[in-house]
Amino acid sequence: MLDLVWLIPFLPLAGAAVNLLLGRRLGKAAGWLATGLVGLGFVLAVATLLDLLGLPADQRVHVADLFDWISVGTFSVDVALRVDPLSITMTLVVTGVGVLIHLYAIGYMDHDPRFGTFFAYLNLFVFFMLMLVLADNYLLLYLGWEGVGLCSYLLIGFWFERPSASSAATKAFVTTRIGDAAMLLGIVLIWLHVGSLDFGAVFGRGASELTEGAATAIALLLLAGAIGKSAQLPLHVWLPDAMEGPTPVSALIHAATMVTAGVYLVVRSHVLFELSGTALTVVLVVGLVSALYAALASIGHFDLKRALAYSTMSQIGFMFFAAGMRFYTGAMLLLVCHAFYKALLFLTAGNVLHGLHDETDMRRMGGLRADMPLSAAWFTIGALSLAGIPPLAGFFAKDQIVGFAATSDRELAWVLASVGAFLSALYIARPLFLTFFGGRRGQERAHEAPAPMQAPLAVLAFLTVAGGLFLALTTESGRLARFLEPVVGAVEHGEAALPDAALIAISIVLALSAVAVAFWVWASGRVDWEAFPQRQPELAGWLANAFYLNSLYAWLVQHPGKAFGRVLTVVDDRVIDGAVNEVAEDVVEASGVAPRIQRGFVRSYALAFLLGAVALLLFLGLRA
Amino acid sequence: MAVDEIVFWVFAPISIGSAIAMLLQRNAVHAALFLVVNFFTIAVFYLVLGASFLFAVQIIVYAGAIMVLFLFVIMLLGVDREETLVERLRGQRVMAVGLGAGIAIEIVVAIRAGIGFATKAPANFDETVNRGGNAQALARVLFRQYFFPFEVTSVLLIVAAVAVVVLASRQRRAITRAEAVSSGHREAA
Amino acid sequence: MSTPIAYFVAVSAMLFAIGTVGVLIRKNALVIFMSVELQLNAVNLALVAFSRMHGNLSGQVVAFFSMVVAAAEVVVGLAIIVTVYRRRQSASVDDLTVLRG
Repeated sequence: MLDLVWLIPFLPLAGAAVNLLLGRRLGKAAGWLATGLVGLGFVLAVATLLDLLGLPADQRVHVADLFDWISVGTFSVDVALRVDPLSITMTLVVTGVGVLIHLYAIGYMDHDPRFGTFFAYLNLFVFFMLMLVLADNYLLLYLGWEGVGLCSYLLIGFWFERPSASSAATKAFVTTRIGDAAMLLGIVLIWLHVGSLDFGAVFGRGASELTEGAATAIALLLLAGAIGKSAQLPLHVWLPDAMEGPTPVSALIHAATMVTAGVYLVVRSHVLFELSGTALTVVLVVGLVSALYAALASIGHFDLKRALAYSTMSQIGFMFFAAGMRFYTGAMLLLVCHAFYKALLFLTAGNVLHGLHDETDMRRMGGLRADMPLSAAWFTIGALSLAGIPPLAGFFAKDQIVGFAATSDRELAWVLASVGAFLSALYIARPLFLTFFGGRRGQERAHEAPAPMQAPLAVLAFLTVAGGLFLALTTESGRLARFLEPVVGAVEHGEAALPDAALIAISIVLALSAVAVAFWVWASGRVDWEAFPQRQPELAGWLANAFYLNSLYAWLVQHPGKAFGRVLTVVDDRVIDGAVNEVAEDVVEASGVAPRIQRGFVRSYALAFLLGAVALLLFLGLRA
Repeated sequence: MAVDEIVFWVFAPISIGSAIAMLLQRNAVHAALFLVVNFFTIAVFYLVLGASFLFAVQIIVYAGAIMVLFLFVIMLLGVDREETLVERLRGQRVMAVGLGAGIAIEIVVAIRAGIGFATKAPANFDETVNRGGNAQALARVLFRQYFFPFEVTSVLLIVAAVAVVVLASRQRRAITRAEAVSSGHREAA
Repeated sequence: MSTPIAYFVAVSAMLFAIGTVGVLIRKNALVIFMSVELQLNAVNLALVAFSRMHGNLSGQVVAFFSMVVAAAEVVVGLAIIVTVYRRRQSASVDDLTVLRG
């Protein structure tokens, strides 16, 4: 199976082609085809995993070289897929969560006129994402990187008749483009310094040949790309707007997979990052700041999907934070668990939207537990998992990262991480209580989603519950950690000031108290949270507008943009048109001068004769 | 100082002076009169240079016939008409004087480069060239070497006379018609 | 003859220049015509002077012809001037601008 690993990405690619060409004729079958292909991919991925496990732990790397791609002079890149614990983990997540979301989407997009196109785009996305995680060299990775960006654009703007959707799609594309451009520079630098883009060469030979300066530059450039794709500060502005897309898209792309590509990139390139201490610190800081920022922003938003979007940004911030501390397995664990519960949360939100006919404002929800008991259950499981309540998956992931921070030399990191953990619980409990608990504020009765849409949610809920227990019972010896060790190195952590048990207890207490606070504020009815915007308009404004960063960017781009536009207008009018008009005016002027020679006065003609005669004589005289 | 030198130095200034005076007269009749003076001086020059026949012809034809004709026409067209001094063309006067001076200077320079200011005429002109008198000598050349041009020139004179007659007569008929029309249609056209 | 020939030619040059200036400066058609006659005479003078210098009568012959032709030309020219005057009631050359561009 290891050599047939190429089937995993190329099956969805075929599905995309078929659905694009024949989608309309296939009707519902398009959805089943797409889902089946991704499901098949998952099965094949499992088979590949088993093959990989069959190999001894230190030899679990297999490169399947498919064909020569580019070969120009000294520059040569192949289409080669790399199967190792890291890539197979990502593959399993992408195909596994992917197939569940595809299944859900069959029900969710049931009435959409462009049903087939939607699944074609979804399959295309899965193809590119798989290429990204399975690539064995940076250029192929970049291909997948750009491809998922394209699919994100297509899917965010899927309902392109809505101007908000199409502008959100453009915003996403342009914002990530900034990061992508930097990333490409980083890749070029890699080639310049190492002479090859293959992971094996870069992490082997390159590691020993790169200077710290070069490594820092490369790492920071790659990080810029990761920041863009993973919606971290400062390139995060596209993610909340990306919620304009259909909910399955938000679940798949903007929760489980594409936005985690940045984390994958950092973990994959950890060799380069470790060569430069500065880069790792930057990763850490970016992650922590993004996590805290997004947490506060999530608390300020009343749109259910946007609140979830900010929570995604915050969770990814935690992943970056972990990677910045060299705790790569922790980052990956959080990535996997987050994929489970975030997909669950988003799909459940999809249920709510479906039941309330696309109402997303939580101020008009409330008490939906009575109408949608199943969805309420799913959301509760997902929220508690994110909050870090044991024994759900999120607890293991979150706690290990916070605990790791405690063992590092930076106490501040641990404090801030704990604050972040508290806020995470807060910000996820809030939509839970606002939507499903408390008094009913909305007008309609919501109807529960049909069974086909509930089935994937059940699976995700199960994974959310059991995943942590399966993958990461302890920090060092959890299955995932041991599995990833050959790729990312063993986990090294120092001694914490407090014993492990105390740390765990602290994080559990924080999580529970956050949930309690959320319940008290938003569900118990004893706090008038609806009046908060009036009582504290400034603070509410800061939170609701995510600290006005969006407006800042708009202003920064708008003003130079408009000024540039004005300059161009002036150039166009005065310079370009002006030049043409000048020429015309000159011609007119010249033709105004010409008649002066022929005024009709004989005497001026005679003068001209004389002038000529004198000149001629002069000429002849001088010649002689 | 030989006689011819005295004559030259007396008549040259008169010649140039009368020419300039002609130029500056506002009244056309005065201008014509000054031109006549100029022609006389040129006739004297011809005499000095040994062209006695031309001396006579100059006076008879130029001063006597041509200038008289001029005066007739001036009288015809209004003898009291005086030219305005306003010059409409900008720079015309300056340019004209400048270029005129330029031409004169150029010719003088050419002379200096050519024959030089010192060359004198050969002395025995009257014996060799003007043998038998200037008229006879001229006739000898005119009716032999230049006979054909002589005949052609006669034709030219006849043509000129005929042309003038034609011009004049056509004018009269046209004017009669114009006069008739403008005087109020008293006659049928 | 002891006057250098060049002096006569110099006088001729000056007369020619004066005649040219007259053509350009004066507005009365008749005076312009008279200036042209002055130019012709200047040239005749030069011809005769050179004829004397070279000891050849050709110069005088040409001057003679020049006079004849000048006479014919004056006749025709004056007829034209009279005609133009009759049309336009003006002898000023500046009024004849029909051919302006």
